[in-house]
Amino acid sequence: MATRAFQRLPTAPAGRILALRLAAIVLSLFIIAGVLALSGHSPLMLAELILRSTIGSRFGLEDLALFMCPLLLTGAAVCVCGTIGLWNIGAEGQFYAGAIAATGVALGLHGPAVVLLPLMTIAGIAGGMAWITVPTLARAYAGVNEIITTLLLNFIASLLTYYLTTGPWRDRISGAQVSTQRIPVAIPEMWGIVHWGFPVAIVIVIGLALVLSRTRWGYEIRLGGANPEAARYAGIPVRVRIISVMLLSGGLAGLAGMFEVAGTVHRLQGGMANNFGYLGIVVAVLARGSCLNVIPAALLMALILDSGIVMQTQQLSSSVVLAITGLILFMIAIGDELAHYRPLARTTTGEKTR
Amino acid sequence: MIALLTGMLATAVLAGGVLALAALGEVLAERVGVTNLGVEGLMALGAVTAVMTVSAVPSPWVGLLAAIMVGALGGLVFAFGAVVMRANQVLCGLATTFMGLGLSTALGHNYAGQPVGTTFGHVSVPLLSSIPVIGPAFFGQNILIIPIYVLLPLAVHFIMFRTRHGLNMRAVGENPAAADAAGIPVMAMRLGYVVLGGAMAGMAGGYLTLTYVPVWSEGMVAGRGWIALALVIFAGYRPVIVTLSALLFGLVTALSFVGQAHNWPIDPAFLNMLPYLGTMAFIIVPVVVWHRMRRIMAAPAALGQPYYRDVR
Amino acid sequence: MNKQSAPPGMPPGTPPVLQLRGIGKFFPGVIANKDVDLDVWPGEIHALLGENGAGKSTLMNVVTGIYQPEEGEIILDGYGQAFASPQDAIRAGIGMVHQHFKLVEAFTVAENIHLGWDEAPRMASPAVLEARTREISERFGFPVRPDARVGDLSAGEQQRVEILRVLARRARLLIMDEPTAVLTPEETGELFRALRAFRAQGNAVIIISHKLDEVMEISDRVSILRGGRKVGTFLTADCTPSMLAATMVGRDIVRRNMRARPEGAAPIAADPVMQLRHVSVRDGRGVETLRDVSLDLHGGEILGIAGVAGNGQRELTHVLTGLMARTAGEIMLDGNLVERADPALFAHAGVGHIPEDRLRSALAPSLSITTNMALREYTRPPIDRHGLYDAKAAGELAHGIAELAQVSIPDFAMPVRNLSGGNQQRLVARREIRIATRVLVAAYPARGLDIGAIATMLGYLTDLRDQGVAVVFISEDLEDLLNVSDRIGVMFHGRLMSVIDAEAADMATIGLLMGGREPADLPGAGVRQ
Repeated sequence: MATRAFQRLPTAPAGRILALRLAAIVLSLFIIAGVLALSGHSPLMLAELILRSTIGSRFGLEDLALFMCPLLLTGAAVCVCGTIGLWNIGAEGQFYAGAIAATGVALGLHGPAVVLLPLMTIAGIAGGMAWITVPTLARAYAGVNEIITTLLLNFIASLLTYYLTTGPWRDRISGAQVSTQRIPVAIPEMWGIVHWGFPVAIVIVIGLALVLSRTRWGYEIRLGGANPEAARYAGIPVRVRIISVMLLSGGLAGLAGMFEVAGTVHRLQGGMANNFGYLGIVVAVLARGSCLNVIPAALLMALILDSGIVMQTQQLSSSVVLAITGLILFMIAIGDELAHYRPLARTTTGEKTR
Repeated sequence: MIALLTGMLATAVLAGGVLALAALGEVLAERVGVTNLGVEGLMALGAVTAVMTVSAVPSPWVGLLAAIMVGALGGLVFAFGAVVMRANQVLCGLATTFMGLGLSTALGHNYAGQPVGTTFGHVSVPLLSSIPVIGPAFFGQNILIIPIYVLLPLAVHFIMFRTRHGLNMRAVGENPAAADAAGIPVMAMRLGYVVLGGAMAGMAGGYLTLTYVPVWSEGMVAGRGWIALALVIFAGYRPVIVTLSALLFGLVTALSFVGQAHNWPIDPAFLNMLPYLGTMAFIIVPVVVWHRMRRIMAAPAALGQPYYRDVR
Repeated sequence: MNKQSAPPGMPPGTPPVLQLRGIGKFFPGVIANKDVDLDVWPGEIHALLGENGAGKSTLMNVVTGIYQPEEGEIILDGYGQAFASPQDAIRAGIGMVHQHFKLVEAFTVAENIHLGWDEAPRMASPAVLEARTREISERFGFPVRPDARVGDLSAGEQQRVEILRVLARRARLLIMDEPTAVLTPEETGELFRALRAFRAQGNAVIIISHKLDEVMEISDRVSILRGGRKVGTFLTADCTPSMLAATMVGRDIVRRNMRARPEGAAPIAADPVMQLRHVSVRDGRGVETLRDVSLDLHGGEILGIAGVAGNGQRELTHVLTGLMARTAGEIMLDGNLVERADPALFAHAGVGHIPEDRLRSALAPSLSITTNMALREYTRPPIDRHGLYDAKAAGELAHGIAELAQVSIPDFAMPVRNLSGGNQQRLVARREIRIATRVLVAAYPARGLDIGAIATMLGYLTDLRDQGVAVVFISEDLEDLLNVSDRIGVMFHGRLMSVIDAEAADMATIGLLMGGREPADLPGAGVRQ
């Protein structure tokens, strides 16, 4: 009889996940270093450069924070939707919708920043919520798969942004392509080029984690996501909860768009979502359903993106960076699964069924 | 009017063919219970492979074959993670898309923007191609259209719903534990069809650069892989319906081209939204009107779930 | 006890159909099987008896190739075999009917019969498969509807599909895991006749059961497992039910009449706490699944509901707990008309509910034990503090419930699905009893429990009764029903056929009512409506 040396645990301990993820990243880095060396680059030199220009310098840290800010919010958006068992693949579109709404306020109204910024924030959140409304209602009342509807709206949002930035809102001052003019207000900076949106995003993620774990509403969301039938049994109005969670999710992604417009880019640009919505899915999956884990997951993602910028300065195209991101994710996915296995140690197994 | 319709259908058939291939491949993967979100990346790989191959060997058939092989290889990589290792399917799929998009751009760097010299030539089936409207679109364009729209979907339909093998295959996606208990090799079945689905995604990419858009550029797949995934759900995981819905999507796409060509007083950006808006409407309206649609169009019950036999 | 010698009536030298030698199988933290030896001879029905978690199902999964054992060997007809997959076991003539049927619900009966079968025709159109199924069904004398969707069939019909599938593959050893759990007495009789006919052709059957009377009736020999190890194999003729029960649990079990009230128990209340008046329910396809049911529930009383599963018990349970809206009739709680089905309203009014399928409807398997134990009380202080969820209070509640349920839990943060089915059931029961101040609706609370745990569970119900709570006890086990119920109602095709005084009731009468016989046709005594 074949003796198998491993068995699978239903839940993987956090420590093992962390260890295997580290191993996955190290293994990916070795593979990448090998490929780079073969193609005539010096991996060591590159590594040193990347370290110096990301976590090794103030400038690098500032960049990291700027990348993290939208990822925190889109990651949280996907994560909170996942808590009730739904996939928001449309954070990209909601990001655009929020950015468009905020830009509209900034370009259309005149006033001091203290008035405009709160209005833009509200508009950004409302824009994101509006963008997810149809998928939300279709899901809640007709059971329509939210994955397709939210996904399709991404393309529409991106086209709408293109239309606005080349049409009615195009930059008539400096003539920048596919872009509006610079908006008159900006989120104040707190540390170098890092704006206050970054700490706010962190606070929002922590707050969200607390809401989910420490409120009655959060309890109902978690139960509804883990087993809708049990939620019904507990008397939870699942449909109402689905609507509130999806709108919240859209609002978070919309806020990310507003922060990006008002804090980093200072104008609405075609392609400005920069895949932050899709990367939000990655962040949420890496966070394994826990909102608090969104913070380290967003940090990891931002590190990869930031390293990519550095590599582009070294004649490596952004596409190589994308491929590297893919490889690391792939390795992490496998590492996470392997964390469930442990060697079969027969001598230590006790009889503890009952 | 006839000329307009003829032109529109011809464009629709070309545009829809790319989607039909990719979506049919994904139907195979999802019917055995695996969601492959890597389609977009595999299509990009197929597209660039075809371009690179025909620049060395000037035969569209060799180019298409190379695209298929690379798609299968990419599908194998995804399947290694998602099926063999049983890692998270969503993460593996997104990773495959990123790797595919990144690699294809890096590989295609020297080919970007240059027109593809060798493509599938114009064929015209006698008699059939002179049928008004339909003829030029289906029988007067390229040799792959009938295979894509008729032969492949019918073959898949037949195998899936009329053979022993198809019965076993569908069972793997519905209830792998029951399939396993009945002696169906769950892992092999999933591996095989995911790789086949990947091959078809690669073929879709190759078909794109060898017929419809004969030039390689970064981002040229332009979300078609995601649309293919949406069409699969839209079509209720049925091979014939998924092909028809790809054609429908192609038609709405063609409508926006027609609008631009005829200077309709609508901004092209809005015309370009039409296919997406149309798909949304097609997904939502029937379910709202007719609730039974939900059961008919239901996903395979075990979709997205890894299967562990020896675990309780 | 069981060496190589063939039993009487066998030609000498005949090898057993199946021999297990020293089988060991381990799961994380659990020894499911250890050192198990077993011989099964041609022409015998061999019962496998054991408490929950004794390792019966695991052992049979090893025999059918679903699990690979870590230790030991499997010998078929005298030759060592290693099953890498269920396919190998099927080819070797071993067929299993699982307790949780391994059927594809979205497929038709015909498709399920032909699933994974290498003798199915390569070109398998629905018409071809249905014709073949009809033929097979006639050949083996098991009537099935080939074109019916399996998800729409009753449990008994599904079991028939499973058996037919195994027989069609020419199994010589048929393994059945708790086959009678979902059958009426008549259906059980039919099944047993079929099993005897199968044995008469020189085939062997292994039957896993908890029900001692059935084991006594059907089996030739009995093997008993305890804690994953085999205690022994006995000739059934040499056994008595009480001796088997004692061997199984390792201690003596006494079944008793639990209808008698202790000193100080609450009397049966005069006014009903809950009333149904002509309540009917239609399902999504317009079929009436509950028909014109009228019922009074009194505090301090246990109302038993007998009937074959699928005759409206589920709908009755859901109507009584607010999970399902009635399409006709009235429901009264404390004399007040209940306007709409709202499970929260019922729970707040003191109606507890132990549902039939706890893992699917009463628990969130992936969430922690603490979270699951808070399910009924997260809206009440101390867990709820003005909309906030007090995790510490929830933890204390979970500890309290686990202690009362006598379930030892190493880590309350671990997902509840890591617990055994029996422990989940106890926790759900105690959780529901806490809120059941007026009514407890318990659907099959003893299903899947072993004898000791069943006695405990029934004790919970009678304790609640003695506190003045109205208990609705839905079960398939007539003995359990007769032991604790004050009145017994019988359900058939969505109707409440009759409500009988348990004192006067007998098994035969209830059996006839379960089979759809009208109360008026029955020979009289004790029937009241």
